Amino acid sequence: MRKKSIWLVLLGLLLVAFLAAGCGGGKAADKGAKEAEGDTIKIGFLGALTGNEASYGVETLKGMKMAAEELNKQGGILGKKVEIVEADHGSKLSEAASVVQKLISKDRVVAIVGDPTTGKTKLAGPICQQNKVVLISAGAVGPGVEEIGDYIFRNTLLDEVAAPAVAKYLVEELGWKKVAIVTSTNNDYSVGLTKIFEYALSKLNAQVVEKVSIQDGDQDFSAQVTRIKQAKPDGIIFTGYYTEGGLFMKEVRKQGLNIKMAGGDGLLSPVLWKLGGEAVEGTMVYAGFAADPANASPQAKEFIKKYQAANDNKLPDMFSAQGYDAVMLLAKAMKEANSTDPSKFKDVLAKTKDFPGVSGTLTFRIDRKPVKSPVYLLEVKNQEFVLKKAIPVEAPQS
Amino acid sequence: MLMEQWLSGLIDPYYQQVLTLVGIYIIAALGLNLITGLCGQLTFGHAAFLSIGAYTAAILTRDYHLPFTAALLAGGLMAALWGVLIGLPVLRLTGDYLGIATLGFGEIVRVAFTNMKVTGGAIGLAGISRASNLVNVTLFVVLAIAAVVLLENSRFGRALKAIREDEIAAESMGINAMWYKVQAFGIGCFLAGISGGFYAHLMQYLNPNDFSFIKSFEILSFVVLGGLGSIPGAILGTAVLTVAPEFLRFMAKYRMMIYGLLLVVMMIFRPHGLLGGVDFRRLLRRRKSKSLALGG
Repeated sequence: MRKKSIWLVLLGLLLVAFLAAGCGGGKAADKGAKEAEGDTIKIGFLGALTGNEASYGVETLKGMKMAAEELNKQGGILGKKVEIVEADHGSKLSEAASVVQKLISKDRVVAIVGDPTTGKTKLAGPICQQNKVVLISAGAVGPGVEEIGDYIFRNTLLDEVAAPAVAKYLVEELGWKKVAIVTSTNNDYSVGLTKIFEYALSKLNAQVVEKVSIQDGDQDFSAQVTRIKQAKPDGIIFTGYYTEGGLFMKEVRKQGLNIKMAGGDGLLSPVLWKLGGEAVEGTMVYAGFAADPANASPQAKEFIKKYQAANDNKLPDMFSAQGYDAVMLLAKAMKEANSTDPSKFKDVLAKTKDFPGVSGTLTFRIDRKPVKSPVYLLEVKNQEFVLKKAIPVEAPQS
Repeated sequence: MLMEQWLSGLIDPYYQQVLTLVGIYIIAALGLNLITGLCGQLTFGHAAFLSIGAYTAAILTRDYHLPFTAALLAGGLMAALWGVLIGLPVLRLTGDYLGIATLGFGEIVRVAFTNMKVTGGAIGLAGISRASNLVNVTLFVVLAIAAVVLLENSRFGRALKAIREDEIAAESMGINAMWYKVQAFGIGCFLAGISGGFYAHLMQYLNPNDFSFIKSFEILSFVVLGGLGSIPGAILGTAVLTVAPEFLRFMAKYRMMIYGLLLVVMMIFRPHGLLGGVDFRRLLRRRKSKSLALGG
């Protein structure tokens, strides 16, 4: 009995200490933020540094830090230093909500860059909107992001922008007049992308000669490929993921069909050739960014060089480039608005036109959806992705 | 609205968010404590009932504009209904077998929600109103604690304990073990459903992947760490393990490592959980005797 009560008292003390430490720290940070508001601008990073989404978050943060460093070298924004506030949510939804709340109420950030996934962006969106803090996602491509409110942005390549541009290239440059489309029916992304491709192809007067359905997790595609073979298309548009994509092309080659496949960034993974081997050579995949030091724009060249210097010569990926661009976009909007008040610079941000980012030129449409140019069309060559063509996208009339 | 403004002046919204989450998890942990702690039935599918409650409540307020309280209750009842439906066949199993069966059910629910239209599928369900706050969650936590304390010390609670200690002996004393187990399962799932409803209206966004078996294990670890079968233990375990990741944030990369270490150390030094064997009645009784002694 006595032993138990000692434990209880100890635990009680521990809990009190926990709370006291938490609150004490909070108050100090609170004051710090208010005083610091004079000479620093805080931009929050929302993303995972641990867990299964960590690879996106880590790269986004790298890009953001590079941007902040560069801005600070040039004297910061409006004479104030830029500080990136990071907090890991461990790829957990419930923790992401706490992190957003912490960034807003404790760190008092003026803007948040993140989350790289659409799901957590939709979770963070309403909180930012209610608290009047600007959110830019440097990775979300799914539907329903801008609809949350006028403080919510993203600087990614959307399928509704990329797919029509790629379709145009396939039809007009590569001469795909007759096309077969493969859809994975239990994959929302695939179903959505098929619709976009079909609409684009109908506008280009290309003919969809065969539509076949597969399911994520399928292994045997012989029936579908036989049907495609009979329709004699010029090429295959595949809207699913890399696992099925690799296996599908294997079956295509097995049946002696010698046509190429094109698809969205769902195919963007080395697993594609690990499963497909020789069969996926020539497969085309589009992406929002490809590090191509030879043909890049001057600012992209500079970015790639700096990234390589800091990361053992590794090439930057889409997330680091878009993370960098997101911070630069915010900086430009704040400078032009001559204010660090989110309710003011968000309107300037929404009017961004032809912003020369390292991942491409960006314009926000009237509904705040991003239009980026170019679309990077990659091709599998010797079991690696190489840039085939940077397809320009026309900016919308706003 | 006024209350919220007053509250955010008092407590930082960040702490409010974390404390509300603690409250929500306490409700779920109390339910699991009833099933696993009191009745001794191992279940790995608690997150599934959380998700059933969450989706039911969220869809009712979002698409059918039901008041929050009604939707919350409906979510709890829906989870309880499924709990009983699943409990009837599954609770014939014992020990690890029951654990595996509930684990399977949890995954079925997750996959079902991923493929249903009304739940938004893999994209998730957004646009849920923010109806949960520290006040209404705390209110319900107090209600739930009162209810489970009363239950534990009733004939029903004693029957559950008898089943936990020795099911055959309990049956021979005239306790219908199956019936009691299903009831306990139903009540536990009801609490999980309510917890899910609050969760949905705090997060304002639901995704089936958030309710995988990892969340089930998380809730189970709250209860085990606190001390299986102890209500104060379940509350303390939940509070410590939910606050710790936020509290340890200053350690950056080492945060989750320390969190894991915390679990290991606690289990080594307190194998029966932090408050294993401690119950509310005993706590209160001691305080009473103490105050009597002081008064005298």
